[in-house]
Amino acid sequence: MQKILDFIAKETDGKNYKSYKYCFESVDIPKMDYEDKRGIQVKKKGETDKSLTTTKSVKNLADKIGENGSPLFKYFLDGSRRTYKVDDIAYGKRLYPIIAGQIGVAVCERKDKHTFKPVNLKNPLVISIPENANAQTTIGNNDQFFTNLIKKLNGQEILKTQKLNFSKILPYKNTALKENDKYEDRGIARIQDEMIALEQRVVFELVKARKLNSDSFLIKDGSLEYMKSSEARELSQIKSNYDCVIGVSKAFNPEALSNDVRDISRSIAELKIYHRTPAFMYQTERIPDVKFAVWYLRIRETLSPFDGVLKIEKILVRDIQEEEGLDSDEIDLISANIINERNPVCYGKDDRWAKHLYPIHLTESYIKSKYLSDIHFINLF
Amino acid sequence: MTKTIGKVAATEKNPTTIDEFYFWTNKQRILNPFDVVKVEHIEGSISFGVIEEISHITDSASYLSNFISSDFGDVDNEPNMHRIGMNFVKAKVLGNDKSIYTPVLDGSKVGLAEQAEVLQALGLNNIKNPLVCGYMEMYRAEDKITLPVHLNSQFLIGPEGAHLNISGISGLAAKTSYTMFLMKAIQEQYLKTDGSDDSIAFVMFNVKGRDLLAIDEPNEELTVEEKIRYTNMLGLSTEPFKNAKYHYPYSDQSTSKTYSYGQNSDIEAQIDANKGFKYKYVFEDDKLNLDLLFSNIEDSTGTMESIINFIVTDQGGFGEVTSWAQFINKVGDFTKAGQQGSDKEISVMSWRKFKRVISKALNNSIFSQRVVPEKNEIRLRDSIKDIKKNDIHVIDIAKLDQDTQAFVFGDVIRAIYDLKLGQEDRNENEIPSKIVIFIDELNKYASKDIPKDSPILRQIIDISERGRSLGIILFSVEQFKSAIHDRVKGNCATHAYGRTNAIEISKGDYRFVPPVYKNMMTRLDPGEYIIEHPVFRSLLNIKFPRPLYKQFPNG
Repeated sequence: MQKILDFIAKETDGKNYKSYKYCFESVDIPKMDYEDKRGIQVKKKGETDKSLTTTKSVKNLADKIGENGSPLFKYFLDGSRRTYKVDDIAYGKRLYPIIAGQIGVAVCERKDKHTFKPVNLKNPLVISIPENANAQTTIGNNDQFFTNLIKKLNGQEILKTQKLNFSKILPYKNTALKENDKYEDRGIARIQDEMIALEQRVVFELVKARKLNSDSFLIKDGSLEYMKSSEARELSQIKSNYDCVIGVSKAFNPEALSNDVRDISRSIAELKIYHRTPAFMYQTERIPDVKFAVWYLRIRETLSPFDGVLKIEKILVRDIQEEEGLDSDEIDLISANIINERNPVCYGKDDRWAKHLYPIHLTESYIKSKYLSDIHFINLF
Repeated sequence: MTKTIGKVAATEKNPTTIDEFYFWTNKQRILNPFDVVKVEHIEGSISFGVIEEISHITDSASYLSNFISSDFGDVDNEPNMHRIGMNFVKAKVLGNDKSIYTPVLDGSKVGLAEQAEVLQALGLNNIKNPLVCGYMEMYRAEDKITLPVHLNSQFLIGPEGAHLNISGISGLAAKTSYTMFLMKAIQEQYLKTDGSDDSIAFVMFNVKGRDLLAIDEPNEELTVEEKIRYTNMLGLSTEPFKNAKYHYPYSDQSTSKTYSYGQNSDIEAQIDANKGFKYKYVFEDDKLNLDLLFSNIEDSTGTMESIINFIVTDQGGFGEVTSWAQFINKVGDFTKAGQQGSDKEISVMSWRKFKRVISKALNNSIFSQRVVPEKNEIRLRDSIKDIKKNDIHVIDIAKLDQDTQAFVFGDVIRAIYDLKLGQEDRNENEIPSKIVIFIDELNKYASKDIPKDSPILRQIIDISERGRSLGIILFSVEQFKSAIHDRVKGNCATHAYGRTNAIEISKGDYRFVPPVYKNMMTRLDPGEYIIEHPVFRSLLNIKFPRPLYKQFPNG
């Protein structure tokens, strides 16, 4: 049975080398720096209550909600990808890596305390190869070439017998490398972009199905700062989808706002339990048309100062929000509900347990459970 | 598959095997040990399994994680959601409808079975010579199914296999009721097939209160639903036993000295109806059974045996003795110092011991001068000799002392044995081809502590080993099976386990029982049994309704 690499090499007139296959996530390689915060503009007041200058406890509100109301968060979104270097292929004089990936994006719904079910899962398999795999590049024929290639690829015996399907071939730029630049990273970035596009799509599908409203919010794991890329849509065009969505980051740079907010990292470190900071409003150069409200919240007392603190982001979708900042009551409500999500914990399962929210942990586990095993996936090639 | 409840999970640590598999279910799905499930298997076949163990797990890595999840030990903390959790169930493979025994595959659907499928799975759909032995209940709520369970009577009362042993602690196991339930089913079956070569009779001992002293009178307390259960589901009538004959120990008419818990008026009424009798032992006819009085006496040197032999061979003037009183006097003569008997090898001390033992027993008025048939007095041996097809002989020994109980029991067993061995002068065709003996408290006669040379123990072992071919069937009951002689219980084909205690289940007799079933044995309700029978593919948890005959709750 012909393996995928042989097929690609044959179809694209390249020469493959059968080099060592490995998963990027399982070896120590420098990661892409996606949290780059260049060009941030911060407004100190990101909420309607302009008098709030220090931190504020939301524990009482959290207790009240815990006793009477139902939790605000009903949907939980997480996305991840696993990328593999499966081979090197020669086109012309240069050698290019072939990067394959498994993407997993899932939304889970919590109906009640006992019922936690996935409502949407997208877990495509993708391959990233250099653009010049298409030897006859003329303007406009690239898409067609790769669409045809994927069709032929999916017709291969090895995939048909295992009922597997690659969704896309994501060509990366084969322009000359600059300093510290690697083709591998370009390929991984294409796969990452595809994941973001899928995340945006599942949010759109939830909005379209009218699942999200003021009583039913979505938590997305990680930041909402989606960069514009070829696949992902411009965030400013779709920001209205994000009215009932917040992003919760476990890992954040406490110095990110330090140029504009004095002592920000110290006040985060000294944040008392169940307290939140005032919200700040900021914009980045990369996404100029979108303003974010961001604040920090401590959900757990921990030994290390930044463990137990979450960074919460919300996209400001209305004009009034962009001017006045986010309603302070809404910030309190969101914060109180996040405090109520602090238990149970995934202690013993995940080292980040102190700042991990359990439903997000479950969603992440669900996605992982849907991946093909590394051995299985690598041996398709 | 209808009613899918989960899927098979085969992991590295717990693979599915030819014998067992694991599957997961929703944590709120109620299942019980002994429930039957079906699994979709290769080539469109269906495998069946019976649930042995159910566990609940969550994703919590350790107890510490749970503690932390309550804000480090705050018992009032109520989180927004519970941990993700599920039940996983261990099931034993019962079979496959296409005889495919390859282990069931990971991810196969597991569902509840229909009534017919349960019968098929447990091998209950094609039972030959069916005899109802109770009913099973499975699943809950709208899924619940109730089905009668039949065993193969040829494995219960011969000729393929024989003997039944029932164990369970007193008061909670309803051992007597269950034995009676089975005997009722047997009698009813034989009454229907009256006239065939195969026939049956019963001999049962009443050892407790008035338990069995009104088995042919209806139980007025039975509800309509219970009666319907008898008729519609179990296919039995609601009539009490038929052809019962009651045998009471003879006593003087004085109320102060009676040897039965039965009320005198009831006994008199039974005598008037010619179904009540009073039994007696007469020296000349019954001296051969003297050894039975010594069944619990350690006799390692055989001196007691020598004395008995001395007496029954009419030595030393015992040939002239005609009554128990004379007998005691005669024995008394040998206990005097300096007495020169004809057999010098028996010491006076031994004679004194002999006298001590018999004096106590012979004090009882059942050891009498002669039998008066007009007053419905009878010798048990004669009564047994005349036992007819479908007869039930109830022998009341409840109020006798332990040694006398053993004597009566041994005598009856011996009589039955002699009858079946053809030593009585009776037409072979009229003797019931099978005689079922029901004895409660078997441990009194066949426990591991009974002296090895006990005549009763020898008799019981002989019955359990040869009874199947002779047509003598032992239905025995005891509290603790582990105390019973191995050769006796080893020859029982059918075993019923009622509620027992934790010490008992730790004994070797229960080694083959899966741990969960063992623990279930300590929690069984009255009227609930775990049955082991040669034609069943696994242990079955069955129930049976309350008895059809009159009950005396206060003894």
